[in-house]
Amino acid sequence: MRIRAAVSAALASAGILLAGWQSGIHLEDTRSAAASTSAGTNGATGTTGATGTTGATGSTGATGSSSSGSGSTDTGASDKGSSAAAGTDSGAAAEPTTGAAAKAGGTYAGSVVQTRFGAVQVQITVKAGAITDVEALQLTDDDRKSIQISNRAAPLLRSEVLAAQSADVQTIGGATVTSVAYLNSLQAALDAANL
Amino acid sequence: MNTQLLPALPAGSRDRKGPGSFRARHRRRLFRTDLLTTAAWASIAAAVALWLADGGTSEFSTLAGAVTALGIVTGLAGMDLVLLMLLLAARIPLIDQTVGHDRALEFHRKLGKPSLYLLLAHGLLIAIGYGMAEGLDPVSEAVSLWVLVPDMWLAFISMALFIAVVVTSLVAVRRRFPYEFWYAVHLLTYAAVATSLPHQFSVGGLFAEGTWQRWYWLAVCIATGAALLHYRVLEPVIATFRHQLTVSRVVQVAPGVVSIEMHGLRLNELAGAGGRFFIWRFLAPGLWWHPHPFSLSAEPLQFDASGRGLLRITVRNLGRGSAQLAGVKPGTKVAVEGPYGIFSTAARSRDRVVMIGAGIGITPLRALLESTPFAPGQATVILRGRSEQELYLGDEILELARNRGATVFHLTGPRSARHTGSWLPDSATDAGHRLADYAPGIADADVYVCGPGAWARNVLEDARAAGVREDQLHYERFDW
Repeated sequence: MRIRAAVSAALASAGILLAGWQSGIHLEDTRSAAASTSAGTNGATGTTGATGTTGATGSTGATGSSSSGSGSTDTGASDKGSSAAAGTDSGAAAEPTTGAAAKAGGTYAGSVVQTRFGAVQVQITVKAGAITDVEALQLTDDDRKSIQISNRAAPLLRSEVLAAQSADVQTIGGATVTSVAYLNSLQAALDAANL
Repeated sequence: MNTQLLPALPAGSRDRKGPGSFRARHRRRLFRTDLLTTAAWASIAAAVALWLADGGTSEFSTLAGAVTALGIVTGLAGMDLVLLMLLLAARIPLIDQTVGHDRALEFHRKLGKPSLYLLLAHGLLIAIGYGMAEGLDPVSEAVSLWVLVPDMWLAFISMALFIAVVVTSLVAVRRRFPYEFWYAVHLLTYAAVATSLPHQFSVGGLFAEGTWQRWYWLAVCIATGAALLHYRVLEPVIATFRHQLTVSRVVQVAPGVVSIEMHGLRLNELAGAGGRFFIWRFLAPGLWWHPHPFSLSAEPLQFDASGRGLLRITVRNLGRGSAQLAGVKPGTKVAVEGPYGIFSTAARSRDRVVMIGAGIGITPLRALLESTPFAPGQATVILRGRSEQELYLGDEILELARNRGATVFHLTGPRSARHTGSWLPDSATDAGHRLADYAPGIADADVYVCGPGAWARNVLEDARAAGVREDQLHYERFDW
């Protein structure tokens, strides 16, 4: 390769990479800003309460989502407060009745978890104490990209959950926000089913 | 330094080119080469920049994210290289007239392995990165991607096809199989690219709908596809219908060597193509599917202003396919693609020219000698063969040289047994002759070499020793 070609190729490539990097940095700034504000609103308006068929709502689901939001302490507190208001009495007392309900089977919808890319809500189908299906009622769909990420993440999360029979699974690479919201909603549904 | 020679030149001998025009033309060609090189590198940078602009660097905060990010970058760069390879093989006139057909294909071959490695790295890194994020080993992750994610099964097929294409193109493997097998597998490249496209646009978040990155990537892919369709399919079909070539007669020139003459239309458009090659298909049973790359062995002969006229190629039965050509019947229709390559006036950089040909490699020089501009005394033609009979079209060359003022050498005799690095006959080698003895001004000349690979390498070596620079050497490989 001739020197002129090498130099101009190097300069052009460096310039293009630099331009891409710079616009990426700005994008990150705006994104993290959006993330921090949405974390606040997430805490405030999130977890509208699980609407399982049994009507029982776990308290753990709500705390789960507040930890994912990583917001300031007051939003976390309000989060817990709202879920506590929506929730029922302590698990130990409710155990026998809801346990019976879970054994009977049925569908349980998890809480609606708000993210900066849209709301996420899942519904589980329980048969004889086991999760037989997980259906996403809502998925992050604010923009085309979110839809695309959701479409990829949902089937992977579903299969992981069905295999693990719990919400204790890893998040999907490149779809962290969707995964965390999905698993939180799922946990609420599991609590509703008392699994 | 050339201007003082001008008055002595007969009018018209330089065509329309003034002195130094070859140097200017050469500078423009070098500029285009550099421009294309820069564009190629810039396209790779742009592919990575797409990801950077999407805030890709933030992924490096976790190990899983970093591995996934590297997977995305390798995928982008790999696909970009694949597109560059397709463009290099698309016979685009800009590329063909700048670096030439065989050098474009040489770059194409050089990119084969790097692009495959990048694509393999892409698959592995994504499986590992996604797997780490989900707590799965890479194999289970790959399986779950295959089974659960739409379009991913196509991507796996694509990877298998790419591996097959590159492996069959490795020199060691390619030699074991007939050309047709390699060609058929190579056609799978299109399937490999086609099956890789869906997952790029549906699984990767980078090219999601609504992003500008998606538009860029679509534009690049569509442009590449359009270039292939236009220059490899449409242009040949149009050229075939435009020229309406039909074999008029087949003449034996020497044992095993025939000249095929074809008449056709608008042949004036092919004037000056001396030395460049065309791909011919003789539309007869058992012959039509076999493409033959041959140069014209004479300038098109025109009967009238509309371009009706005769074309001639001269071929030797080197391979299975060429042997059949001797039996081509007059009246056979001929499909044609081209002209391709810059073994022609387009490659000239100096006023002086030296042409060296051996065996059947002499025939393209015959057409080049007829058309390329030079002043009397500034051209030297060296013909090499085992015997006088092997200097195909030697008589025609002698006559042309006499008319145009070129010097001709006939070098006949067996190859030197002791000096394997020599391109000269035994006797000349023993006498200590070198290329510069035949063409004294060679250091300031364009050198055109056409002949068998090993012989041509020896000639090029001798030319370099005589002070000829790399960009003055023009070499046509015809043993491919």
